[in-house]
Amino acid sequence: MIRSVRLLALACVLAACGPKSMFRLTSEDNDRAAISAALAKRQLPEQPAPLNSARQPRMFVVQAGSPKTIVAYDLNAGSVLWKVDADVQSRVWVGGDFILVLEGKQLVARDQKSGTARWKLGVQGELVGATADRDHAYVTWREGSGKSTWYIAGFDASSGKELWRAPSDGQLGAPVAHGGVVYSPFLAQWLYLVDGSTGAQLARLRGIDEQISMLRVTSRTAYFGSKQGVFALDVRAASGKRGDATYGQAKIPPQLDRTSYGIDVYDHVQNAYTAADRARVLWSSVPSDAGPMKFTADTYAVHYFRYMFGFDMAGELVWAYSHPRVELVASEHTGTAIIGLSSNGEIIVLDPKTGALRASRNLGLGQQVIGATFDADGWQPRGDGTKVETLAALVSIARDRDARFDRVKELAVAALAKQPGGEVTKELLAVLADKRAPQKLKETVVDMLAERKDPASLAVLTDQLATRSDYLAKTEPESLGAVAKAIASLAGSKLDGKDVAAALVALQGHLDDAATQTPDLVMVIRAMAAIGGGAERPVLASHLLLYHADDDVGTDAAWQTAIVTALSVHGGPGEHALLRQVAADPRTKQGLTAAIKDALVND
Amino acid sequence: MVGLAFALGGPVGAQPAPKKDKKAAKAPKVDLGPTVAALNGVDLEAAVKAAETLGASTEPAAHDALLDGLAMGLPGTVAISAMMALTQHPAPPDVAALRRYAGHHNPTVRSAALSALALYPDPIARKTLIAGLHDMAGAVRAAAASAAAKGRVRESIDPLFELLARGEDSASKALAAMADADLARKIGDRLGQVPDAILAQTLGLVLKRADFGPDTARVELVRAIGKLPDAQAIGVLTDYVDATPANPPRQSREEAKKMVEARMSGGGK
Repeated sequence: MIRSVRLLALACVLAACGPKSMFRLTSEDNDRAAISAALAKRQLPEQPAPLNSARQPRMFVVQAGSPKTIVAYDLNAGSVLWKVDADVQSRVWVGGDFILVLEGKQLVARDQKSGTARWKLGVQGELVGATADRDHAYVTWREGSGKSTWYIAGFDASSGKELWRAPSDGQLGAPVAHGGVVYSPFLAQWLYLVDGSTGAQLARLRGIDEQISMLRVTSRTAYFGSKQGVFALDVRAASGKRGDATYGQAKIPPQLDRTSYGIDVYDHVQNAYTAADRARVLWSSVPSDAGPMKFTADTYAVHYFRYMFGFDMAGELVWAYSHPRVELVASEHTGTAIIGLSSNGEIIVLDPKTGALRASRNLGLGQQVIGATFDADGWQPRGDGTKVETLAALVSIARDRDARFDRVKELAVAALAKQPGGEVTKELLAVLADKRAPQKLKETVVDMLAERKDPASLAVLTDQLATRSDYLAKTEPESLGAVAKAIASLAGSKLDGKDVAAALVALQGHLDDAATQTPDLVMVIRAMAAIGGGAERPVLASHLLLYHADDDVGTDAAWQTAIVTALSVHGGPGEHALLRQVAADPRTKQGLTAAIKDALVND
Repeated sequence: MVGLAFALGGPVGAQPAPKKDKKAAKAPKVDLGPTVAALNGVDLEAAVKAAETLGASTEPAAHDALLDGLAMGLPGTVAISAMMALTQHPAPPDVAALRRYAGHHNPTVRSAALSALALYPDPIARKTLIAGLHDMAGAVRAAAASAAAKGRVRESIDPLFELLARGEDSASKALAAMADADLARKIGDRLGQVPDAILAQTLGLVLKRADFGPDTARVELVRAIGKLPDAQAIGVLTDYVDATPANPPRQSREEAKKMVEARMSGGGK
């Protein structure tokens, strides 16, 4: 039977349903004993497991359409449990044998086996958030447009009967429940631990170092924190301080700056699936009695729209995954796997440590997926895929046409550049050759090419020099300056003699090419001097003579410095004598004469 | 001089110096010391004059002074004069010097080097000229085309055809200057591959050449021009008819005249 309940209809019951004015500014905070007792009260599984009563890994998907559709999916069986059309206005909150969804203006509890509506709850005022655990549903809402009052209430999952409610004059955030205890954020600074059955306050935490604006629970651990980092909710959390608590921080690259650890409990928009669900830190932790939070396997991942990145604790990128064509709209760390669901209904399972794609499967849902909630803690999916495609993923990201991800491309290029080998160099050069690639990205590639100092890339870089300016062939050199700069960075590296000879020939071709612009000419000179080992000196000396009195090239300060440095630092007595001779020539351009005198001041 | 070794490297000694010619004894004696000093001085006007003086001299030392100056690096305007001066008495060692300046960043200098290279029947010179046809600067390509024609560089024909297809006037003139009967036929065969106007101009230039023949070859050309649209064909054929005397009678002129008359009266092809 469906039972409707008006949240405001039972004002008389208020006093009887729980402590009055539990939420206040002055109260005992961070009572270690109380927190310990509250945590002990939780009924948690021995091992990580899904919350649902069947302990089966499940996923609840919301699909686009008019109306939208809720799809319950059995992850182990790989099959749809049920589908129901509904006016879905929120994410799905998962309980023991039910789910909770805002449909239109009503919170609807649906049977988890069949999808049929069990009870409905009219929401007056503004829904702040909802949650569920095995036997209860919890709802927080705000009433009043001027001086608002916030309420949190607990409901029996079977009947929808309101069991308790608690008002608050201060802002409450969206609640999260865990094993019979509901966590209610208050004024961004406190977290109340409330008995889910009675509404009684069990303990109160005050964040001293950080706001409390994020909550996340797995089957065995609760986390709270902000965009800055996460605390495990254990007895050490009583300190309220990062240094004394089980606190963890993922080093998030600035290019992934939209990433958060979880839903912002004070942002009502995030009651529904939003873009915020596509930019998440994914992690799990192992219990610890001392020190900072220990992330499982010393890794964490970031889901960022179409991409997943794995990092070590130093913040170094370890792996990357790029989902083809469409975005991943939902993701979760089950403790042993990272799962993601794409907007076209493809589920992927990644190894959190290596990024290997263990399995992927299209659910064949048809309609576009808006979002999903996973109830799959501890799930170790079948599938023995070991394919790690970090290189391909980074290349794919770097060459992605989507302008929204320009900064992510810079991250990919930087990570790519740290990989050794000529193939990587080729890919970086391909980015440079891409006329549609953003200029900032190209600048990053240029820097990365120079920074990677990979001797194995010399042959690839030389190949890139093969293209010359040719009116008839309609060709022009691609990224000459960048390539020459990359070659120059190999100074001091152990290089293959044949590769060096070939590179020098190619570089000389551009040195002697009238179409080479002076800034590129400077790079070419530096590159020749860096790797030439002396073989380049006659060519550079001839070049100096040709332009020492030239009104164009000869007057360029960068060229003057480059050619003089090449012949003074890398040259021997013969080159120094030549430089002196050029400096003594009255036709030599003034800056060049000065540069030579500076260079040979100690000669 | 340290610079010479750097600029010219080993091969310079391997090249024979220019031989004294018979006129050497009759040419006015040049006071080399001050002239060479002027060539390498800061006064550009004096340097240009010195280059001309050295070029006019038949003395091998004067030629060597030009080569030395170029090797040490001359300012653009002086280098141009020095290269022109070299060609007064071309010698094999000149090619290396001219080739070096054919890659100069200043397009005027490059053009001058390419023009000079036309006088050297040397494989490197020819290769350099052909490379000049690929230059990004139109003026340099034009100089290379003109030099290729002057030097009768057959290997330049294909790139000249490519330039012709892009409507380059210099290629038209070069091909017209180089064309024998066979090449003229090949030019005519480019109908549809080359813009009509430039094709008509090229064929017209060949037709106007007094040294082009025999008349059967001219007839072929007239017929090739006849395949072109009125606007291009009438002008070229009229020019040919006007420029060619009626006597002795030429079949090519007669055919050209008939084609013009037919087209003017609306009974063209």
